[in-house]
Amino acid sequence: MSYAPTFAHTRQRRGDLSYRERFWQISWSLVLLVALTSAIGPIVLYSAAGGSWEPWADKQAIRLGVGLVLMLLIAATDIRFWLRTAYALYAITFVLLIVVEIKGSYGMGAQRWIDLGVLQFQPSEVMKVASILALARYYHGLTQEEIGRLIYLVPPLVLIAAPAALVMKQPDLGTALMLLAGGVIIMWLAGVRLWVFLLGALCVPPTAVFGWSMMHDYQKRRILTLFNPDNDPLGAGYHITQSKIALGSGGMFGKGYMNGTQSSLNFLPERQTDFIFPMMAEELGMMGALILLTLYVILILYGFVIAFRCRTAFSRLVAMGITSTFFLYVFINVAMVMGLIPVVGVPLPLISYGGTALLNLLLGFGLLQCVYVNRDVSLPKRGAFDM
Amino acid sequence: MNAFFRKRARPRLVGQGGDRLPGGPVSPGDRRQLPGPEERARPVAVGHARLRFMCLVLATLFAVVSWRLVDIMILAPETARGTANAAMARQMAEEPVRKRSDIVDRNGLVLATDLPTVNLFADTRGIPRPEIERAIAALPALFPELDPEKLRRDLYSQRAFVYIRHHLTPFEQKRVNDLGIPGLEFETAEKRVYPGGRALSHVVGTTNLDNRGSSGLENYFDRWLTTSDEPLVLSIDLRVQHITHRVLSESVKHFRAQGGSALVLDVATGEVMAMVSLPDFEPERNGSPADKERFNRATLGVYEMGSVFKVVNTAMALESGIPLGSYFDASAPLRIGGHSISDYKGKNRPLSIPEIMMYSSNIGSARMASRVGTTYQREFLRNLGLLEPVRIELPERGTPLVPNPWREISTLTVAFGHGLSITPLHLASAVSAVINGGVFIPPTLLKVQDRQAVQGTRVISERNSVIMRALMRLVVEAGSGKSAAVNGYYVGGKTGTADKQVGRGYARNSVLASFVAGFPMTAPRYVVLFTLDDPQPVQGTWGYRTAGWNAAPSTGRLIAEIAPLLGVAPSYFSPSGFFDESLIQEVGLKTLEPEGGPAR
Repeated sequence: MSYAPTFAHTRQRRGDLSYRERFWQISWSLVLLVALTSAIGPIVLYSAAGGSWEPWADKQAIRLGVGLVLMLLIAATDIRFWLRTAYALYAITFVLLIVVEIKGSYGMGAQRWIDLGVLQFQPSEVMKVASILALARYYHGLTQEEIGRLIYLVPPLVLIAAPAALVMKQPDLGTALMLLAGGVIIMWLAGVRLWVFLLGALCVPPTAVFGWSMMHDYQKRRILTLFNPDNDPLGAGYHITQSKIALGSGGMFGKGYMNGTQSSLNFLPERQTDFIFPMMAEELGMMGALILLTLYVILILYGFVIAFRCRTAFSRLVAMGITSTFFLYVFINVAMVMGLIPVVGVPLPLISYGGTALLNLLLGFGLLQCVYVNRDVSLPKRGAFDM
Repeated sequence: MNAFFRKRARPRLVGQGGDRLPGGPVSPGDRRQLPGPEERARPVAVGHARLRFMCLVLATLFAVVSWRLVDIMILAPETARGTANAAMARQMAEEPVRKRSDIVDRNGLVLATDLPTVNLFADTRGIPRPEIERAIAALPALFPELDPEKLRRDLYSQRAFVYIRHHLTPFEQKRVNDLGIPGLEFETAEKRVYPGGRALSHVVGTTNLDNRGSSGLENYFDRWLTTSDEPLVLSIDLRVQHITHRVLSESVKHFRAQGGSALVLDVATGEVMAMVSLPDFEPERNGSPADKERFNRATLGVYEMGSVFKVVNTAMALESGIPLGSYFDASAPLRIGGHSISDYKGKNRPLSIPEIMMYSSNIGSARMASRVGTTYQREFLRNLGLLEPVRIELPERGTPLVPNPWREISTLTVAFGHGLSITPLHLASAVSAVINGGVFIPPTLLKVQDRQAVQGTRVISERNSVIMRALMRLVVEAGSGKSAAVNGYYVGGKTGTADKQVGRGYARNSVLASFVAGFPMTAPRYVVLFTLDDPQPVQGTWGYRTAGWNAAPSTGRLIAEIAPLLGVAPSYFSPSGFFDESLIQEVGLKTLEPEGGPAR
């Protein structure tokens, strides 16, 4: 009896657990927490449609079910599979991004979708996870000494900049910024020297000036109206103004589920996607909003705890990459609807209507679980970046 | 149970730096091997230090966001709270309800006005139980739409202010009063009524329960309407609006289209005389979030307009200096970068510019644009306002989907109205500029008081504008727009049948059929743009769904009805007084009025 767990544990370290054994290693409290948080999605969407399953809540519920199963399936995989295929996944996603770019430039202005018949998906969303895996693998294969060397900075910068540039061209500013920020965070956690970041920070103002000149007029206007949304409450500032009215009218305990006037009377634009947070906050009040934020904080804490427990750089970077991407979703969306940052079009994670983002996030949590399940597996540098 | 929160063995110290071993064993009995020197203890230490720093940064950002949330939701409600609790705030301040100004059409007919009403609310604190039960029994009898369950919840909520029902009639108010239930109270309110009804639902817009503008002009001029004593005078002519609404509705129904839009513009002032988008909605029915109907196709929807865009393209070619007599090879499909541009019912020979318009040749148009070049094309379209959000006094303004990057293939496809998505209003005002003598005037929904003072920017020469009139006339005389002809009004126009975009490709058998017309082409006064979304082949169209069979004849019917109202006199003379002989010959117009005497 008492040998069995010891036996399993030794094999666990070597990484030869069977799929079923790994499956039972999943952190079920995290699964529960993810399910709980994402279940808020269909509930709020039901209200957003004025008390109807159509057109959002039903689809979202189905996607959520599929996504959770997918998450569990990925959770119990062998982490070495992801280490092995990290670059390949990145390459495939990158090619898809290029395909979208070529098709898109012929079709119309912004084209982000690939149609697989049964489902359409945005390669730019998948790129968020793929680039995390690729960067994690890269830094996994480097020694601390190598990380400090200048030449070793080039591949990760290319890995980050190439997809970000493509996404920026689509044009999808929000996703491009998330890719950049996610990549920089991984470099930071991997131990890239401090001065690199300081130098990078110095480069931001000139880049910003250049970026500004490259921006579309509508993007410029969005940033300008941010500083004074009331100036043009019917143009680009309309989103933010209405969003703030919705938030302000929620008060402490809200107007009650399905009783939000701002949202049910159609003032709130995009209330099923990017602006779902103010619509929820109007109905459930500050307490409801804070409870949701607390759920997010707990999810992110799980990510940190898992990262702290990891034995290998790859696992730690994957865990933190996913956690920080998740954080970026939360932060950008919530800060955006409150007028702290420009409206860049980032959904509220796990809750906003939209298939690719939800599946992608659940896939991310699957990987996080996978890192946790395989926490004691030692990964060779061989098979990773080996010169 | 959960491995996360199990007790962990104390981490052991490793290496010189006192680094902690990453991760903890699952069971306390575990004996872990200490990592060898090659197992990178330092990166882990660096990693953990940086992890802690990340933790700190994220916590700070979360704190900022949470504080801002509390700030917006609780601490600064008087600035942000706005409309939603306005009714309650007013009640407390005993402030009279703000009245909104009327909205009237160009002839002073009322399109929106206020009606005094009362709202029924309850102060549920301290209503005795039996009285609540009595209210729950009696109120649904008076107002059958009330949900008894919600009413029960509301009345037992112990809240100081719960709305029961908005906008009671005096009769309803009396009956509620007669119930004599304490705690049921009335608040004076204003209800917005729209005598124009559905016909103007997208233009005038709607107000919410607090009588603040929530869409359309009501929203755009919300501040003005609540502070001014003057009525808001629109450019809309209610009579023309109603006729346009009826003709479009009949057309949508007859051709089983999903929807459509119609615009009538004064070419000299940019005034919108009529603007209709279908499906529409009942503006007085508040709170229905049926998005599809509230969508203004004329100003918010962006579409690839198809061949009607050739009017703009041809004007551009002429303005760039290409002579009217030039020929362009349309003998074979144009291949570029894996794409092929071909003609519908192609002529397979070189075509002159009038022929390109008349036969609506994609190849010819693309070759014209190719000769003009991308830079000139973009500049020209920019001057016509086609690359920026449409300028109109509505919150519902569409932003064009502009090719990015603008490659050569884009230049070619834009020539025949693909690859650049614009709103119908964009196109109508551009065509207006092409035929009014060449001056672009931004469209407006407000009545222009001084017609002489209207300023515009020149986009093409007067001569080219005259040529364009002749070319558009040719399309109605001998091309695809024959069915739009109206006896005596000398209509000119252009058909367009664009394949609708679905996802990343184009739908088979689903089109946007449109017709853009000007009349009278001898001295244009009005532009009409008529679009039908996905019209079906019906009896009498011989299986066709192209614009010549649906949008064009509908436009003709519309012009026949509105032209007399707009004071356009019919004329039955030869156009030779307006077009010089050489132009008539070069374009191939008939010199005699072809339609005979007054009839139709």
